[in-house]
Amino acid sequence: MAHCTSMQYEPVAEIGGGAYGTVYKARDTESGKFVALKNVRVPTDQDGLPVSTVREVALLKRLDQFDHPNVVRLMDVCATKRSDQETKVTLVFEHVDQDLKTYLDKAPAAGLSPDRVKDLMRQLLSGITFLHSNRVMHRDLKPENILVTSGGQVKLADFGLARIYSCHMALTPVVVTLWYRPPEVLLQSSYATPVDIWSTGCIFAEMFRRKPLFRGDSEMDQLGKIFEVIGLPPEEEWPTDVTVSRKNFPPLSARPITDFVPDINEQGAQLLLKMLTFDPLKRISALNALEHPYFQEEEALIQTNS
Amino acid sequence: MAKTGLCDSKPLLDLHKKVDERRAPLRTWANACGPIDRRQPAEVEEPKTVPARVEPERRWERRLSTQTSESIIMGFHEDSQTCSAADECVENAVLLYPHGLQGLHSLQALVPSLLRHAVEVALEKLDLIWDRGYAWDLFLDMMRTQTRNAFSNADLPRNFTDATRAVLVDWIIQVHELVHFQEETLYLAVHLLNRSLRQLKVTTANLQLLGMVCLFLAAKKEETLLPEVSGLCSLMDNAYTRNQLLRLERKVLCALKFDLSYCPSLHFLLLFASVARASAGMVWMARYLLELSLLEGQCAVFPPVQLAGAALCLARQVLQEPPTAEGEAAWCLASSIHVGSETSLLKIMHILARTAAKAHTRETCATFIKFSSPETMHVSRHPGLKNAAGLLGICS
Ligand SMILES: Nc1ncnc2c1ncn2[C@@H]1O[C@H](COP(=O)(O)OP(=O)(O)O)[C@@H](O)[C@H]1O
Ligand SMILES: [Mg+2]
Repeated sequence: MAHCTSMQYEPVAEIGGGAYGTVYKARDTESGKFVALKNVRVPTDQDGLPVSTVREVALLKRLDQFDHPNVVRLMDVCATKRSDQETKVTLVFEHVDQDLKTYLDKAPAAGLSPDRVKDLMRQLLSGITFLHSNRVMHRDLKPENILVTSGGQVKLADFGLARIYSCHMALTPVVVTLWYRPPEVLLQSSYATPVDIWSTGCIFAEMFRRKPLFRGDSEMDQLGKIFEVIGLPPEEEWPTDVTVSRKNFPPLSARPITDFVPDINEQGAQLLLKMLTFDPLKRISALNALEHPYFQEEEALIQTNS
Repeated sequence: MAKTGLCDSKPLLDLHKKVDERRAPLRTWANACGPIDRRQPAEVEEPKTVPARVEPERRWERRLSTQTSESIIMGFHEDSQTCSAADECVENAVLLYPHGLQGLHSLQALVPSLLRHAVEVALEKLDLIWDRGYAWDLFLDMMRTQTRNAFSNADLPRNFTDATRAVLVDWIIQVHELVHFQEETLYLAVHLLNRSLRQLKVTTANLQLLGMVCLFLAAKKEETLLPEVSGLCSLMDNAYTRNQLLRLERKVLCALKFDLSYCPSLHFLLLFASVARASAGMVWMARYLLELSLLEGQCAVFPPVQLAGAALCLARQVLQEPPTAEGEAAWCLASSIHVGSETSLLKIMHILARTAAKAHTRETCATFIKFSSPETMHVSRHPGLKNAAGLLGICS
């Protein structure tokens, strides 16, 4: 049993050196299909696999049963012992041709068409709505963690594991990008599902710009870059449970979002601002975002055409 | 649907209380409190208001059109032929709640909202949700996913008989009681055992270890406090080493592909009982019958809702409590939840009635003893169980 996974799956290539381990492209010798193998090393103690891992992977399996079109399929899971202190959990996902980062890099020089952006955004938000209605936060949404099939279907990846990792964060010195982090996380305030909406807003802007919207190199720098765009929030919106003072930042006022995302249309700009709202309680939810006029527009157009 | 709140995400069926995820404190065997009275069937409080909405809520509408609540509620369609009896019952139910009837178009329109309200109240009372806004979604979800928890056949691997299985389950029930786990954990453990037996090759010598591993995994999913592995080994007279146990744990997890999701029949039972306003005695009786179903390998082919529905129906027939108008109305409301065909319900009731009739004479009698205590109202010794099978013949 110890080798069930490595025997059935034949590694073909290394896909990504993720922060927590390597992801391999492999061939399932039973079905002939390609899969993506992801190894997670979890420390074990005298009581075997940690409770957090057992629950979190079980949750991923449960979500998988719903077959959501915008969530990557988890096909198999296997645990193998590496040593007395460590077990390797191998997650076998369906293989998807590329991630959104590659997809954006490969786009023609003129960029993605507005319709393409809208379609990607709609799929992205419906995947997030699904996660959120099952009370799952992604917490690390960024182009590298969003997969796009050759047919243009969006599939969320790399979620749910956040909590397994965070328990063992001390193990690996991890460098995680700050660019898609919402202010409440940067300020180390409490956070919930609105974190994913902020990240989605950043990605929305990036689809037009084809480069990240806020590229900070430290938490404070990242916050500074955010306020340069959305303005310094009023005193009463500043969270009370944080150590960083609002006085550390210059009193900037908001600049038109179209200065930074020139190609976006008016409805799109409105939606983007609702996603990049400082106060997580006032930030739009994924479900409401899907109902925003930005997504209705196109249908109206089709109706008048026909 | 996707309501966001400023609390940490919580998996939908993560019904256990929040655990310190870093280190589950170890339970000391002595000071743990007993599990039996954890869910005393509470007196059903009178709902003060009944949702008076004539227009179904938008969310309800959406669910109706896109999802399966239509099939969950019986007699809801305009053209349904099962109405005459149901109408009466709904009427009764309505008459009990004279408020909020203004502008009512049809009595039937009230069934969904009455039921929905009752289910929401029940789920909240059972502590299965922490926000009533999610209750109906959770219920629909439970109904949908539970069908996956039934097996296509009752076949067990060769050289492994129903009798062996019953002995093993009986032992799990005893250990479960000894370590004071929650009841959900027992149901999950037996479900994991059923699946493992079909997925894994285990020698007869390792069966006991497999039973323990299933209980241990179920505890990792459900319990706040975990026993030490060495404690579990000593419960098996140290016939197996810690390493053997942990190796089998990995093996079982792999074989089950880490899928530990299960909708315990117990939750449906408590939910239906609450909607039906069942008496404490009836709830205990139904819980006893439902636990007996764990011992019967053939029950694995039925989905959890059917097992729960059958246990409750049988309990009602065995006890023959004098009917009250209010009780009958509530029972009708509960019966409007579609749990399965009458044939399969009767089949289960027959199995349970037969098992209950000879439970005291069996070698595997942990459940019989457990439910003969005063705390459980001595339900397993109820004289009505002796000829329950006969009762079914008349009443169905
Ligand atoms: N199912 C998959 N199919 C194809 N590529 C994948 C798949 N899953 C991940 N990848 C690639 O591997 C990279 C790292 O995987 P990810 O799951 O994000 O791991 P990490 O937690 O290490 O970031 C992703 O950015 C993506 O490019
Ligand atoms: Mg990643």
